[in-house]
Parts: sequence; structure tokens; C-alpha cells
Amino acid sequence: MIRLENVSWRRSKKQNTQVLSDLSFSIPQGGFRWLLGPSGAGKSSLLSLLHLETLPTEGRMLLLGKPVSKAEKRAHFVRLRQRIGMVHQDYKLIPGLSVADNVALPLRLQKRPEDEIQDEIQAILKWVGLGERLNAPAASLSGGEQQRTAIARAIIHRPGLILADEPTNALEESQAHRLLDMFAELSDMGTTMVVATHNEALIRRLERPALYLERGRLVRDEGAAP
Amino acid sequence: MMPFSGRKDGLSVSEALPDRSLFTLVAMMSFLAALTLAGATGARALSARWAGGAAQLVTVQVPDPDQPLKPTSNKKDPTGPSRAETVLADLNTLPPGTVVHRLDKEELARLLEPWLGEADNSALPLPAIIRIRLPDRTQVPNDLEQTLTAHVPGTIVEHNASWGERLKALANSLLACAGLALLTVGGIATLVTGLATRAGLSTRRDIIEILHGLGASDGYIAGRFAWRTAMLGLGGSLAGTVLAMVPLLVLFRMAAPFANISFQSDTLLLPDWKTLQNVIPTDMLVAFAALPFAAAFICWITTQSMVRLWLRRLP
Ligand SMILES: Nc1ncnc2c1ncn2[C@@H]1O[C@H](COP(=O)(O)OP(=O)(O)O)[C@@H](O)[C@H]1O
Ligand SMILES: [Mg+2]
Repeated sequence: MIRLENVSWRRSKKQNTQVLSDLSFSIPQGGFRWLLGPSGAGKSSLLSLLHLETLPTEGRMLLLGKPVSKAEKRAHFVRLRQRIGMVHQDYKLIPGLSVADNVALPLRLQKRPEDEIQDEIQAILKWVGLGERLNAPAASLSGGEQQRTAIARAIIHRPGLILADEPTNALEESQAHRLLDMFAELSDMGTTMVVATHNEALIRRLERPALYLERGRLVRDEGAAP
Repeated sequence: MMPFSGRKDGLSVSEALPDRSLFTLVAMMSFLAALTLAGATGARALSARWAGGAAQLVTVQVPDPDQPLKPTSNKKDPTGPSRAETVLADLNTLPPGTVVHRLDKEELARLLEPWLGEADNSALPLPAIIRIRLPDRTQVPNDLEQTLTAHVPGTIVEHNASWGERLKALANSLLACAGLALLTVGGIATLVTGLATRAGLSTRRDIIEILHGLGASDGYIAGRFAWRTAMLGLGGSLAGTVLAMVPLLVLFRMAAPFANISFQSDTLLLPDWKTLQNVIPTDMLVAFAALPFAAAFICWITTQSMVRLWLRRLP
């Protein structure tokens, strides 16, 4: 469950550039939201806020039912982050590691047994069509392969919340559709999802409520109770 | 199944330059620290020796020893004890166990030989030299010189303890200098480790942010960096300490005759381990063994604190 109450965010204290202003919305556990809006509206910023890469400057925020504020201990945020999967717009893979080792990171950080990790890697990479590229260095991958690796890394640990920033922009149409089907399935199984996109065809294919951002403000919340 | 060797998280990419320079710098500082430790051990031994024996030694000089104590008009018929005998009698009042020894003619001649040569010096008016060794844990009475000069004018009491005190003070200030030098070396090690850590943080900044985002704790990330610098510190310090043994062994060989230790084989440049054990003081060996671990600890704690502090910029 996600709930934001009058959340604002500035990039830095010195610059008075407010990126997100007075956001209030909530998403139930297992809910799916498209995150829409023109370029520069603040979609990526909102996702980084939900990924706890930064904290709200003002307002109250609940993530996976847990409070998020500067008063919390750092270990609290670590535990929360381990339950979130994020697909960054620029993938954020570690170039010196292989595809398999990049994808294994969330499980290794949670100290899962290594044989279990190997099984999970095999399964998930086969699913995203990278079963043959297991040992390829991340730096040698094409854009689409990088994006699929990033997706695999975001879901391998079965997080309760998945955030995705334009997760299909480097994918072929068939791959994008497969991904969408999986997102729908994960959401049905109780995973909360927030997916930012520009792709109109995708939105038409998976009809779910959207959050519309414009210049850092929430202009429409289709998931809000009428 | 692929064996899980090391932690594949992108932080073990260790070929960056700052890492290797840390090894070399720590090696050089450990070299310095080892030499300083050797000096400190020497100074401490000196200090202990002077604190131990010297306070118990007193030398008394009696000029005109054979003159009677009270000059009479008739020199051919001296009455009463001589000046030297009077002093010796007075010294009987020292604590029991005191060894009082008046140097005889031959001993005196040997003492003076370097200055006067082997000629017959019986014509010279030599003073009597009396050596006193007090038993352990006793002190020369403060008023000894006063008593003796009042009784036998011209008597000189040379208290070796005052020399001992001065040498002990010298040894102690040497020790203090060594301590300061070690502190400085430790400070530089901290600084150098800090710089290497900062360089490591800035080249791996993206990786750290990714790992942090994936739920790596501060302890995990700091631990990865700290173990790396600690291992470099351990290795570098080990190398530096072993290197420092070379000049020290040469020094110890030169000092060995004084230390009453002889090498079995003079042709060997480096003595074998058994001989080495006898040559190098045990406390110094312990200090040398501890040095790499101290260096590793300095590296570890510095990196831990720096990385944890750096991570504070991320929520
Ligand atoms: N690294 C940055 N430094 C400064 N401003 C930035 C940076 N990235 C984005 N911005 C600004 O922040 C605002 C929100 O950007 P972003 O969240 O990336 O929007 P979106 O993802 O919707 O395109 C925009 O005005 C953008 O110009
Ligand atoms: Mg964006």
C-alpha cells in the first residue's frame, strides 16, 4: 500500500526548484497505476521518491504500509528497499558484472543460499529471453538486453512494490507485450505496480488507472474514489 | 553450478591505482614504524638498566689519603688514623650488605693508565678511590657527603645515580620521541587511507548508489571497502616490517659484541632464525608482529568511518 499526503520535493535545499508539488494519492496493495505526463513533468522524480532514493521535502508518505520520514532509522529504509523492485530509465546495471551477477544482486544482498540463487537466475533469464547471455558482461549488452536484464533484476526477489520507468522503450513490440502481461499477472498476485510510460499503445493494451503529472503536480488520479 | 567466489557486487574491481599506492605507502610507513619501534626498545632497555643499577653505585675520593686526620707538629710520629681510614670507618655506618672497596695500587694504576701511561706513578699524590655498592632497594643517605666532608675535609662523593638519572631522562625522552613518531606515522596512515578511500568512493560512486538502491546496508558497503583497505594495509605493513628487519639485523650484528651475544657464523650476512631469536629482544618481536595488525586496524576503522559518513548523503 502506498499513500502520499501533500508530498513536495525539491532537488536541493539551495536551489528553490520545486520538482514535485503537493502530491496526494494512494494505491492499494496489488494496485496498478500508469504514471503519465509530458517529458519533464516529474515522473522519474516521483519514482525515485517511491524507491527511497530521496525523501520528501514536505508531506507524509507511507510505503508498503510503512511510514517514510527522516525520523526513521536507516535500517528501516534498507529493509523497505529490499522489498521494492525498480527498473530505471537508464537501467543502472553494474558494467563490470555479468548478466547473471547483476540479476543475482537483490538475492545476494539478502544472503539467500547460492544454489537457490542460481536456480532463480536460470528461470528468470530464460523468461526474459537472456538464457543464452548469462555470462555476458553487462557492458557488452544492447539497449534491449540491458533493459531486460534490469527488469529481471527488479522482479527476481518477488518484491511487494515494482516501479518501472519507461520499461519498454528499448524493447520490441512482442517483448513489450509479454512484459505487460507479466506486469498484469504480478499485480493480480498482489504486487503493487507503478509504471511510467509514453507509449499510448501499451496503455490501451492494459487498461488500468493512471496518475497524470504536469509540471510536478498531480492533475488527474484515475484511481481515486469518486 | 558456478562456484561463488568472492562477492560479485562490482566493488571488488580492485585494479584501480589508489589501491596499489595504499599498499606501497603503508609498507613505507611500517618500515618507519618498525625502525622507530626498534629505537624505542633500545631506549627502554637503557632506561631500565640505568633505573636499575646506577642508583646503588657511589664513588668516594679522598685526597691525601695517608695523611693523619689531625695534623700534628711532628710528622714522623703520626697519631690517630689516616684520612682514608677515617672515611672507611665512617662508611661502616651504611646499611648492612653494603660492599665497600678501596682500590689498591694496581687497580688505581689501571684506572689511570689511559691518562698517565705505564710509568711508575708512585710519586704522584693520588687520592684514595673507594667504590661503594649498596644492596638493592636501599639508598645512599642524603647527608653522606656532608658527614664525610665535615669529618675529613676535601672528600668528594660522586653519586653515580645523578648520572643514571640523567641517562634515564635521556632514554625516556627518546622513548617519548619514538612515541610521537609512531603517533605521527599512525596519523599519516589514517590520512593516506582516507585519501585512498575517497578515491575509491568517487570511482565507484555509481556502483555504490546502485547497490544502495537494491537494499545494501551501510554496514555491507562500508565492510566491503574496509576489508579491502585492511587487507592492503596488512600486506603493505607486513612487507614494510620485513624490509625493516634488514637494516636492523645489520645494526644488531654490529651491536652484538656489546650485547654479549656472538654469532656462530661470521660469514653469514643474515643469521638463522635460532640466532635471530637470541639477538632481537622478545618485546620487539612482539611489537613487530603486532605492527601489521595495527596497520590493518587503522585502515579498517578509517575506511569504515569514511564510507559510513559518505553514505549519509543517501537516505
Ligand atoms: N539531474 C537533474 N538536475 C537538475 N534538474 C533535473 C535533473 N533531472 C531532471 N531535472 C528536472 O526535474 C524535473 C523533473 O524531471 P523528471 O522527473 O526527469 O521528469 P520526467 O521523468 O517526467 O521526464 C524537470 O524539470 C527536469 O528538467
Ligand atoms: Mg523520466
